[in-house]
Amino acid sequence: MNEEEAAARQLREAIADQFGRSLHIRTLDTGSCAVCEQEIRLLSAPHYDLNRLGFFFTPAPRHADLLLVTGSMVRAFDAAARKTFEAIPGPKVVVATGACALGGVYPKDPFVHGNVGEVLPVDVWVPGCPPSPLALLHGLSVAVGRLAERTSGLTFIAGGDG
Amino acid sequence: MNPLDILYGAAGAWLAAAVAGSLAGSWRPGLRACCVLSGLGGAAAVAAGGWSLVYGDTRVVTPGGGATIVGGPVQLQLTSLAGVFVAVLGIVAIAIALYAPRYHQPAPGTAIYLAAYNLALLACLAVLAAGGMVTFLVAWESMSLACYLLILRHPRRTEVARGAFWFLALSEIGFLLVVAAFVILSVKTGATRLDVMAARGHLVPGGWRAAAYLLALTGFGFKAGLVPLHVWLPEAHPVAPADGSAFLSGVVVKLGTYGIALFAFRLVPVAGSWPGLVTMGTGAITAAIGILYALRERDIKRFLAYSTIENTGIIVTAFGAAMIFHAYRQPALAAFLLIAGLYHVANHGCYKTLLFLEAGVVEHATGTRDMDRLGGLVHRLPRSAVIAFIGTLGIAALPPLNGFVSEWLIFQGLFQGFRTGSHLTAILIVLAAATLGLTGGLAIYAFVRGFGIPYLGMPRTPKAAAAREPGQPVAGPALLAVACVALAIGAPVMLSALSRTARTVTGTSLGPLLLPGKLTVIPAHTDFSAFSPTYLTVFLAAACAVPVLIYLAGRPRAASVSVPVWDGGMVSFRPRMQYSAMTFSAPTRVTFDALYRPSVSVRRASDEDPAGRSGPVHYEAQVTPVFERYLYRPVVRAVEWLADAIRPMQSGDVNLYLLYVFLVILLAYLLGAV
Amino acid sequence: MPLWFIRGLRRGVITTRYPARPDSSAAALPTPPAFRSGQLTRDVADRIVAVCPSAALARRGDVLIFDAGTCTACGRCGEAAPDAVTSSGEWELTAAARSDLIKEIPILGERL
Repeated sequence: MNEEEAAARQLREAIADQFGRSLHIRTLDTGSCAVCEQEIRLLSAPHYDLNRLGFFFTPAPRHADLLLVTGSMVRAFDAAARKTFEAIPGPKVVVATGACALGGVYPKDPFVHGNVGEVLPVDVWVPGCPPSPLALLHGLSVAVGRLAERTSGLTFIAGGDG
Repeated sequence: MNPLDILYGAAGAWLAAAVAGSLAGSWRPGLRACCVLSGLGGAAAVAAGGWSLVYGDTRVVTPGGGATIVGGPVQLQLTSLAGVFVAVLGIVAIAIALYAPRYHQPAPGTAIYLAAYNLALLACLAVLAAGGMVTFLVAWESMSLACYLLILRHPRRTEVARGAFWFLALSEIGFLLVVAAFVILSVKTGATRLDVMAARGHLVPGGWRAAAYLLALTGFGFKAGLVPLHVWLPEAHPVAPADGSAFLSGVVVKLGTYGIALFAFRLVPVAGSWPGLVTMGTGAITAAIGILYALRERDIKRFLAYSTIENTGIIVTAFGAAMIFHAYRQPALAAFLLIAGLYHVANHGCYKTLLFLEAGVVEHATGTRDMDRLGGLVHRLPRSAVIAFIGTLGIAALPPLNGFVSEWLIFQGLFQGFRTGSHLTAILIVLAAATLGLTGGLAIYAFVRGFGIPYLGMPRTPKAAAAREPGQPVAGPALLAVACVALAIGAPVMLSALSRTARTVTGTSLGPLLLPGKLTVIPAHTDFSAFSPTYLTVFLAAACAVPVLIYLAGRPRAASVSVPVWDGGMVSFRPRMQYSAMTFSAPTRVTFDALYRPSVSVRRASDEDPAGRSGPVHYEAQVTPVFERYLYRPVVRAVEWLADAIRPMQSGDVNLYLLYVFLVILLAYLLGAV
Repeated sequence: MPLWFIRGLRRGVITTRYPARPDSSAAALPTPPAFRSGQLTRDVADRIVAVCPSAALARRGDVLIFDAGTCTACGRCGEAAPDAVTSSGEWELTAAARSDLIKEIPILGERL
């Protein structure tokens, strides 16, 4: 455990080194209902203000460090999603957010993958429907290594740790 | 031995080429022979023109010991003012001689065309080498007629007859005015030799001098393409063969400016500044209107024709400003602007000819001149694209090429308008400079469009995709591209030659006021500005090397990944998603709405369908032809009305004609008796 | 002076200090459920599995598999079995491994 924790902390520090001060985020909607996008847009509002944390939105994948993916990965969008991912220069982080992107709501069928992980290599998953701006801030902070994740310690059993 | 003797060689070569062309032009070997002769004549003309720049004016010569033409003496003289134009004529002739064998198909029409073309070359040479009024006028008219035959290469195609007719009609009106101008001068000075007319210029009373100059400005303005006398250019250029259009724009239009320069600087140096102001104002307006109309053209050749009008405007502005400075006793600036104008003549001769020849290559390779049907030609016609790019850089006046040098000189001359001492004049000169500035910016815009839409991007039609380079003429345009670069890098040489020309024409020696060092140019005054074309070229080349060096020095050590260009993630990029020529220039259409007065008609299939089902939408936008509608058509209607009113006189009734005879005899009797 | 400037001065700084300090508005967020193992029986589990619109719940023998990533916090499982299901209050659910979001809840109700 100690080794794992040490490795995790090293990885976190390495990521924080790269992205800690300024992170450029490119959002990608692969077929969502756009409520996740509204929450993401709310991040720029004065109440949440992600710029104070050094996060910035950019439309150009060439300038981006982090790809924030929403939606259930409609199959018709595969090529565009891969192109966007490949256009981002390394090192890069892919964050899938929203229940749709994590495989919920829309099962796999001829039109939809259901899970963003089927097409893109996702590093961080942020659940929620929609994820509130606070949850998104938490997710982004974990993605850049500023916060440690807590989910592995949750049990969702009432009366216990969850 | 003087430059005029070399011109005899050129004239002989061209005459031989005309004969060879008319006899043997229908076969390929004949075509080649004619072109070789034409090229030799061109080489002789370049040599003669270049030499005459430094030699000065030759004597007036009457060849053949008193030969007469149309009752007047044939007098030849090669002035150094004409020298620049002769050199341009020569290099255009060489380029077209290299280009024509691969461009023209041997056919009966080719024989007539070649004969007409070489006779046109000869006539242009005669105009430039004319030492007397009659020679000049005869040569001028021959040139117009020969060019008319040139344009009519394919008489049965649509629009050709109309274009040729416009050219001829306006040429004739201009010729009338030029004749009137020359007659006034000749009568008032009592001479027909041009140098005698010039020497006796002070004998002409002020009012007649002004009238002569204005008649000449208008008459030569028809040929040069000053607004509103320019309407033949966009009609005639697209329908002529490519080398014919190149010749028209490269040489014939310049002869109009030569005529204006001839009257302005040699024959009628008018006291007072208003003729110069009129000239400069006309030039500035011409330049602006020319490029504005160019931006609404889809046909490459019409676009280039309007660009020629723009450049004529720039040249005439320079000449006009030179006249103003001369009137305000600033001879150094006057000479400087004359030099700048002549330099622009040489530059424009090179790059406009190049662009027209390339337009011909494009038309041959793809079958269309419409920019919106082209695209991606840089991959299919690589050498032509590179050559066209050099021409485009030149005409857009981008450093370090020649267009930039001559426009810089003109601007530096205009910016010194404050030295005239008159506030009003200074303001007007600044306005002209501002108009030229607008023109320059729009020219860059127009030529990004003119090069980018046909050559770059993806082909918009299968015809454009099927273009092939082998078999297309390359040598002629390549020669002109080399000339453009040479005129840029060799600017100091060119300027020192032109300053000697200016000394011959205006009597002012610029010398150290133009080229203080070997490589630096200053605009006639040491306290204003300085510029070195050679250093600029070297600096730009070095600046381009910097990113290369940075890349080589700091090559990334991590493994690099090659990924496609980011295109928005589009899955299939279709040619119709690109800019079209008209949408690229849509901002100007919106801004200059009042000038274009566009008429837009939109017809939707859903409007006509009873159930309102959607279908194709037909969109048509047209620029109102302002000059044809509001200037020429009323004049034509007035002439027609007048003709109708007079027609009863020619009723065909013999009795009426007998009455006319009787009345005239009666009148003669009465006049004789008195 | 624009009114918003004065209003802003009166209202003060409204930007949240999250993640440096906790945010009070987080208490009102809808969150995924937490399960009371003691109240879960197989029938109850099957009932809440059937009612989940996002397929976040599944039963494998005596274990209720809950995918916290797929849960939309709609609350239908809570309405179907109010004794067994309560709100967890957890909204900081970011995970680096997808498997970290899939929780196993033992069904202990029938034992009691």
